[in-house]
Amino acid sequence: MSIAESSSVPGSGTLGVSAEGVSRRFGTVHAVEHIDFNAPAGKVTALIGPNGAGKTTLLLMLASLLRPDSGTIRVNGLDPLHDSAAARLRIGWMPDTLGVWESLTAREILVQMARFYRLPKAGIAQRVAELLELVRLDTLADQPARVLSRGQQQRLSLARALIHDPSVLLLDEPASGLDPGSRVELRNLLRSLAAEGKAVVVSSHVLSELDEIADGAVFVSQGRTVKQQTLEEAALQGRRYAITALDNEALTAKLSELGLEYRVEAGRRTAVTLLLTHDDGAAALLGELVRSGIGVVSFAPAAGALEETYMNLDTERR
Amino acid sequence: MSNVTETVPGPAGPQGTTGGGNAVVGYLGGIRDVVVLEMKQRLRSRGWYIMLGIWFFVIAVVTWLTWLAWNASMEARRSTMPPSALSQQDGAGSMIFEVVLAFVLLFALLVAPALSANAINGDRAGGTLAILQITLLTPGQILWGKFCAGWLAALAFLATSSPFLVFGMFQGGLTPGHVVVSLLMLAVELAVVCGIGVGISALAGRPLFSIVVTYLVVAALVVGSLISFALGAQLAQGTVLANSPASRSVLYAPVQPNQQGQPIEPAQPGYTCEGPLVEHPAVRTERVAWMLALNPYVVVADAIPYPDRSGTGFYTVGMIEGISQGARSALAGPDHTYLCANGVPQPQYLQQTTPLWPLGLGLQLLLTGLLMWLGWRSLRTPASRLASGTRIA
Repeated sequence: MSIAESSSVPGSGTLGVSAEGVSRRFGTVHAVEHIDFNAPAGKVTALIGPNGAGKTTLLLMLASLLRPDSGTIRVNGLDPLHDSAAARLRIGWMPDTLGVWESLTAREILVQMARFYRLPKAGIAQRVAELLELVRLDTLADQPARVLSRGQQQRLSLARALIHDPSVLLLDEPASGLDPGSRVELRNLLRSLAAEGKAVVVSSHVLSELDEIADGAVFVSQGRTVKQQTLEEAALQGRRYAITALDNEALTAKLSELGLEYRVEAGRRTAVTLLLTHDDGAAALLGELVRSGIGVVSFAPAAGALEETYMNLDTERR
Repeated sequence: MSNVTETVPGPAGPQGTTGGGNAVVGYLGGIRDVVVLEMKQRLRSRGWYIMLGIWFFVIAVVTWLTWLAWNASMEARRSTMPPSALSQQDGAGSMIFEVVLAFVLLFALLVAPALSANAINGDRAGGTLAILQITLLTPGQILWGKFCAGWLAALAFLATSSPFLVFGMFQGGLTPGHVVVSLLMLAVELAVVCGIGVGISALAGRPLFSIVVTYLVVAALVVGSLISFALGAQLAQGTVLANSPASRSVLYAPVQPNQQGQPIEPAQPGYTCEGPLVEHPAVRTERVAWMLALNPYVVVADAIPYPDRSGTGFYTVGMIEGISQGARSALAGPDHTYLCANGVPQPQYLQQTTPLWPLGLGLQLLLTGLLMWLGWRSLRTPASRLASGTRIA
């Protein structure tokens, strides 16, 4: 449906949201410096970076709320600076601050948003009911928003961003405050939204979550794009595996015999970690260890693929 | 999850922006939606009703005390003066009306900033302003919506106090026209203060700061206008061409009511002007009268009509009439108030028909419009400059 909608837009070859050489400073602080960013339609793109890296500033510029000092932004090929109404119809934005009207009920908030987007009046009630069901707030729909928990408000905020069925979704820390069950739901929801052809941008710190959700990731640090890679690329760069065995001595002896570089990690259970370049190597190593009679208890990636990249970034962290 | 897209708003541009008439309807519709959102929030807060209750109670007490005071003073007058000397036209109504009106205006000036001066930056602090800005609402719609909501809330206070003005009317000496004009002017003054508050709240970072600044602006209008007029008058020293009054009989007509209680002598000057025109030092108040005009009390009092009293020698001037006469004589300046200015005897009673309130209201609306315009600029998105110390979201 969304693809059909977007294809009517001029320049449908540039679906999704992109930024080119975008800079923005506040006074003397360079919040964003010459960032290139591309989130194609039909994919979930993660925006990853330490606190204060400029993620929220970048999202605000993509959401047409903040004017970049330089650089260009395209939302489905539209320039939000000149065609803001058309761009805004296509942008769904979920802020990191919740910002709910506390005395209104969840249903009233969504109805108000629908009116602000000038949706046809006849369809509003049904649309709101659908969204409330989608984010599992249908039983709380007529409670004032102030009695909702943080996670529930977060889900309400997501429903608010979806009210006008935007083709570009900009979500600032959508998973914060969600319980594990809601996180899984959010993950499924975002995947299905991307499958419908929407461009989904998610900024988050929870990197292990993003491994499951994201198709690609953009790493920013100190206002600059540090790295842009797809999940496949991230997986190919090799990742660290953690191995625990009944007899750690035998394990380390065997690893030394195989000529592998390893590290003994201090933790609740002593584990050995080592960097393996691809999954085939990992499978081969596991077979070798088992065949040589070492009681392997666990053999698993020590960190997610994106976390690996994040930790390997050379830039200093603030 | 396919139900997400079952009802698609469609890629068509915002409805209501196609035709010229539709654009206006769409614009007003957006304002109405913002007003609905604001009013829902206000009407659900308990503090609002408590404030209305206190307001009603205080004005009721003031009305009652004024009524008691008037009755007591009438008792005293009856015991010392012959009944014929008592003016018939000034019933209890006029005094109650004036006191209540002054009180309502005072309270309105105190309440309106509280209702309006956190409209924008309060939302900004709560993170809900950007939620509005990301939608199809334009900065103008947000600003006008916030203004109308604040004004409507303030008008509710005015409506609560209107029974007491009507009560004053029924006590005699007043017409419904007085009540209508004064309610209208109070409503306009509320709009001015609400507009100032909303404009400042869009400019200032913190709600506390903008509320204080709005109160200071209101104080500047009420007290500052008087002070600056007084100081400005000292700087507006000038001269007026006048000759000397020659006493014809007595300078002032004696107050001698006849049998009907009406004065026999009209209040025309009892002198002629003779001699060469000489420059006399005088305060050219007309140059600084605009400062006085900024005062909300002057605007309201000057707009309320009262009869021409130039034919009557004996009358009691009410507070409203007194303010209006004072303001108009300041506007007239020494050319019309100085004895024998330009060799013409000036009547003791100023027949100044040029009202001062349109000038005052115009200046107030200019100030409000300027602040609203600056506020509108700060609401535009994509925002290029942010108020210092604020985040857009």
